[in-house]
Amino acid sequence: MTQYIVRRFLGLFPTLFVIITISFFIIRVAPGGPFAREKELPPQVLANIEAKYNMDEPLIVQYGVYMYNIIRGDLGPSFRYQDRDVNYYVFNSLPASMFLGLVSLSIALVLGISSGILSALRQNKLADYLSMSVAVIGISVPLFVIGPVLMYFLAIRWQLLPTSGWIGGRNGWAPLIMPAITLAFPYFAYIARLTRASVIEVLRSDYIRTARAKGLRESVVIVKHVLKGALLPVVSYLGPAFAGIVTGSVVVEQIFRVPGLGRFFVQSAFNRDYTLIMGTVIVFSVILIVMNFLVDIVYALLDPRISYK
Amino acid sequence: MNQKVFSDPILQVRNLQTHFKTDAGVVKAVDGVSFDLRKGETLGIVGESGSGKSVTNLSLMRLIPSPPGRIVGGKVMFHDTDLMKISDSEMRNIRGNKISMIFQDPMTSLNPFLKVSTQLIETIRLHQGLGKRAARAQAVEMLAMVGIAKPEQRIEHYPHQFSGGMRQRVMIAMALSCKPEILIADEPTTALDVTIQAQILEIIKRLADDLGTAVIMITHDLGVVAGMCDNVAVMYAGKIVEKGTAKELFGDPKHPYTKGLIHSVPRLDQDHQERLFSIEGQPPNLIGLPDACPFYPRCNYVMDICKQKYPAPEQLSENRAVNCWLYKEHENKEAGLVEQR
Amino acid sequence: MSNMPSSPDTQSAPDGATNEFDQPVEGVSLTKDAWRRLKKNHMAMAGLVLVIIYAVLSITAPILPIHSFRHQVSVHRDLPPSFTKTAGELWYERVENRMTLLAERDGRSQLNAEERAELAEIRDRIETERRVIDGEEVLVHQRRYLLGTDHLGRDMFARILYGGQISIAIGLIGTITSVFIGIVLGAIAGYLGGKTDYFIMRFVDVMYGLPYMLVVIILMAIFGRNIFNLFLALSLVSWLVVARVVRGQIMSLKNSEFVEAARSMGASQTRIIFRHLIPNTAGIIIVFATLRIPAFIMQESFLSYLGLGISAPFASWGSLVSEGVNRMTSTPWQLFFPAMAMTLFLFAMNFLGDGLRDAFDPHSKNRL
Repeated sequence: MTQYIVRRFLGLFPTLFVIITISFFIIRVAPGGPFAREKELPPQVLANIEAKYNMDEPLIVQYGVYMYNIIRGDLGPSFRYQDRDVNYYVFNSLPASMFLGLVSLSIALVLGISSGILSALRQNKLADYLSMSVAVIGISVPLFVIGPVLMYFLAIRWQLLPTSGWIGGRNGWAPLIMPAITLAFPYFAYIARLTRASVIEVLRSDYIRTARAKGLRESVVIVKHVLKGALLPVVSYLGPAFAGIVTGSVVVEQIFRVPGLGRFFVQSAFNRDYTLIMGTVIVFSVILIVMNFLVDIVYALLDPRISYK
Repeated sequence: MNQKVFSDPILQVRNLQTHFKTDAGVVKAVDGVSFDLRKGETLGIVGESGSGKSVTNLSLMRLIPSPPGRIVGGKVMFHDTDLMKISDSEMRNIRGNKISMIFQDPMTSLNPFLKVSTQLIETIRLHQGLGKRAARAQAVEMLAMVGIAKPEQRIEHYPHQFSGGMRQRVMIAMALSCKPEILIADEPTTALDVTIQAQILEIIKRLADDLGTAVIMITHDLGVVAGMCDNVAVMYAGKIVEKGTAKELFGDPKHPYTKGLIHSVPRLDQDHQERLFSIEGQPPNLIGLPDACPFYPRCNYVMDICKQKYPAPEQLSENRAVNCWLYKEHENKEAGLVEQR
Repeated sequence: MSNMPSSPDTQSAPDGATNEFDQPVEGVSLTKDAWRRLKKNHMAMAGLVLVIIYAVLSITAPILPIHSFRHQVSVHRDLPPSFTKTAGELWYERVENRMTLLAERDGRSQLNAEERAELAEIRDRIETERRVIDGEEVLVHQRRYLLGTDHLGRDMFARILYGGQISIAIGLIGTITSVFIGIVLGAIAGYLGGKTDYFIMRFVDVMYGLPYMLVVIILMAIFGRNIFNLFLALSLVSWLVVARVVRGQIMSLKNSEFVEAARSMGASQTRIIFRHLIPNTAGIIIVFATLRIPAFIMQESFLSYLGLGISAPFASWGSLVSEGVNRMTSTPWQLFFPAMAMTLFLFAMNFLGDGLRDAFDPHSKNRL
């Protein structure tokens, strides 16, 4: 098992390497990219970049320097802002994004799994139809509609929650509620549908018939025999779900003005602040890759049939 | 096989009916099945796939998935209680304890996510109220009894670490761990290699004898019946068409379907020049069947009456009954319905 | 359970063979069987009907009697939806209301001469003003805007219809492209195995680790927002799932007997892949494609919201919705109608996709 973890962990680095390399070369081919000088840059920025990447050296050397800096944890100078590095912006806004993402994922998991199980057990009954209808809304209505509509009713019409801001301000935890719900909603929907389908499938399996033939109570059958197998697909969905939440945070942070990385991402895309975009993407990628790694390990721990060889 | 002397029946099934609702209509999977089972007896239920053997036995245990299935009628008397009438919790007390089951496919019948120990111990603790340690000891003992080597170690393994035959042994150990009065074995050897089949049957037979457990052996393999069973019931299209002791039934089959089944088994002691016998045609599907004998389109002895009405069982001797118009000639004569073949 | 009566795949086929019990004995093909099961699923059928209606409307849009989606009538901006009143009437009401309000604020009980003259001029314009729109001369103020107008005085109905055309096209083309790339690479990886498989799948794994939409956002930001780039960006990174699924299917089919049979009869590799293996994965691909289309539409709308999608004067549902979101409080119909149109379509596609999956999934055979 330890060996398996170590091997999987070492496997993360090639992936990262490829992502960083692709990122670097996308900057290079970008029309009017940062290293082509036709774009008007503030002279100070230009000086920063040149100093950092030895602009007069061959491409391969610049690439080497970029990689070296990244290994040292330096994402380079911003393409737009003169005074601070990409690191400063990225790592100052990361905590808010991470927190929002994890809270949303937890909400989606808890609500999604429980309503999925409920639906499966009350198949074709009212509770099933109700929660599955909510789930279809969740996958059919875009985030950026749900968010503003929530904001309109909860914050503007009924004045229950603040329209924007972030935790730690004068509103305490309240500013977290709407962005987290908005972000969690589509993934709640997916997880609920996934859970329902896989619980129903497991309920039909032979080993559940065996468990019932042994005289176990239905509640024991569900908790002990059904859930472990039924939740495996949900575990493997966690990777994509987290990727989606990271992406969704871009929009949600925009709507609710959360001081997170997602908002930076959009701004930098518009400002064509390539180094900042790349920095953001690299950080997001690292988070995702680590997340996928953790999911794989949890999966391996849950499913005894996986061999660690 | 020497004739055993059996006491009163411990299980009496009367006119059991189980229907399934499907897209195309109501499937009468079990349509008026009746039989008795005595202490220590081994009863074989034979028939083609889809003839309702498995559904009959799942119905006894009230394990029919519902919907789409539903037990619509009949009585199942286990000693003095009607299993169709008792509460769910009383039924759970019987399942796995007084009546237990082994299924066809050992690869899928054990929970792949739980250790064998967990699955064995939970049954024992549930029905015998033993402590963890005692239950575990009993589980190990059961594994040893079904012939699993190093049971103390093997019990900590997951099902996928066992071969098919070994998993079926685990299933048997699990089914017999509470010393049930009845063991229902639903094609226990169909999914296994031929060499393993004999071992598994041997284990079932030996343990059933040791524990005094009556066995209902569901199979489509007449060899299994001949080797193991005291009595046999032949099922076709949801009905039992013939019952008798294994000896009588093989020696002198009455129902044309039984005759066909027995003839279609290849035999080494007969002339090889002859072509293998097979019953022509397909079994009907079980939706919207008329009251006729469901076998008549494939029957070589078909009469007009066969197409109009299903015959009541004709009791030929104490243990012998057959549902066929051929053996009801007196009635036919009375009704003036006898025709040439 | 293994021994349950196998579901008799029968509905009395008019010309099929029957046995003595009048039961059809004819075999039913997988697609036929799936179609039969789909027909039983009311939600999926409702979805299918809706999808067909959308498709017909989108295709016939150019010949339907609807207003131009790009012509701006500045005095018609932000008109509310109305079935009964013409644009002129709504415009007149709005001006009159505003003037009355102004007059009240100034403490006048009646409108002054200047204002009355303006109203008279408006009345006159309503009756007579003609404009040439798309080569046709029309009494522009006699138009009716069933779903209102947007902030530039364009017909919302036309915009939603044409926006739908673009959204659906993006969904379709994106899906076709990604399914095509996915099938080809997945089939090659699955069938050839070995090193080819290893490299293709490693590549897929690496791409999987990328935050997919973020890459699309970057591509759009860097290479400029036009429809072609949008298609390219969306479909280039979305074939991964298809490739994985197809590879898995092919791997399991590869060793099946019918492929052995084809091989033993001397069929070539390509023939085996494209004539034998891919058709056998058709069900799963149809289901995937159906569920992929709404996903693409959703992603395009996401990009539009960020200002990276379709650009004016063209519209997509996503761009309409994101414009509407900003004016949610003052002109709610500009959000409501495009959002409804889009959501309804996504609903329909999702229900249809779910239904197809159930229909193609043999496990659901006896399910009610």
